[in-house]
Amino acid sequence: MSRPSRPRPGQFSDVALVITLLVLISQLYLFETVLQSVLDGHRALLPGAFAASSVLTAVALLLAFKARGIDGGPQA
Amino acid sequence: MTWWRRAFPLELAEEGHFSRREFARFLAVVSAGFTAGIGYLWLRKKPLEGASDPEAGHHETPVALGLATDLQPGQSRLFKFRDAHDACILLRTPQGELKAYRQTCTHLGCAVRFRGERLECPCHEGFFEVDRGFPVQGPPTRPLAAIALETRPDGSLWAVGELPKPTDLPGRIASCPREARQEVLS
Repeated sequence: MSRPSRPRPGQFSDVALVITLLVLISQLYLFETVLQSVLDGHRALLPGAFAASSVLTAVALLLAFKARGIDGGPQA
Repeated sequence: MTWWRRAFPLELAEEGHFSRREFARFLAVVSAGFTAGIGYLWLRKKPLEGASDPEAGHHETPVALGLATDLQPGQSRLFKFRDAHDACILLRTPQGELKAYRQTCTHLGCAVRFRGERLECPCHEGFFEVDRGFPVQGPPTRPLAAIALETRPDGSLWAVGELPKPTDLPGRIASCPREARQEVLS
């Protein structure tokens, strides 16, 4: 019996899940780096880090709530 | 069936179900939390507790540390700098140079002490070299905050501000093997 290649409607696809996980790992690394820099007194990178983090969060939120194209619908 | 199961007829299997999308939403919310954290750090004007703040040096009140000749090579003395909680350590290196650092270890905030030729954090056996405060062994990865010193014409020594942390952090001393550690501990 073969597994279906496409996810069922409403199911979150593997690709979307992996992307979301990668986004979270990137966020963790970014936050750790920023915190270390702030503790060292270097605050210049905060605006850029905030912008990058916002983009990553937007991607994660988009995938989690609106990933219609990837998995066939946002319903749970 | 026990009485409480009859009283609270919950479908445990359904309660434990957690779909992929719900998990992804949870991850997205955590991600938003990180963004909020960075935003908070950006908007916060006051430095974090224990953080280095070289910009405060412009309006720093100098602190008298006695005569520069009071300390012999290998000796150290503690002093408070910005307030009663800002513990710092003044030391004279075996080469005769005077150095001062904030006493807070950059790992988990224990107080470092001058031992042998290095500064030692006794909590997790972290070591810092005394010339620039770089970590050379153990868990710390960031240098100690250095305090700027000034010797006045009358021979008195003053702590006048905080030096910016060096960014050219050298590689951890791979050549600081266990024998060297034993030497420091003995």
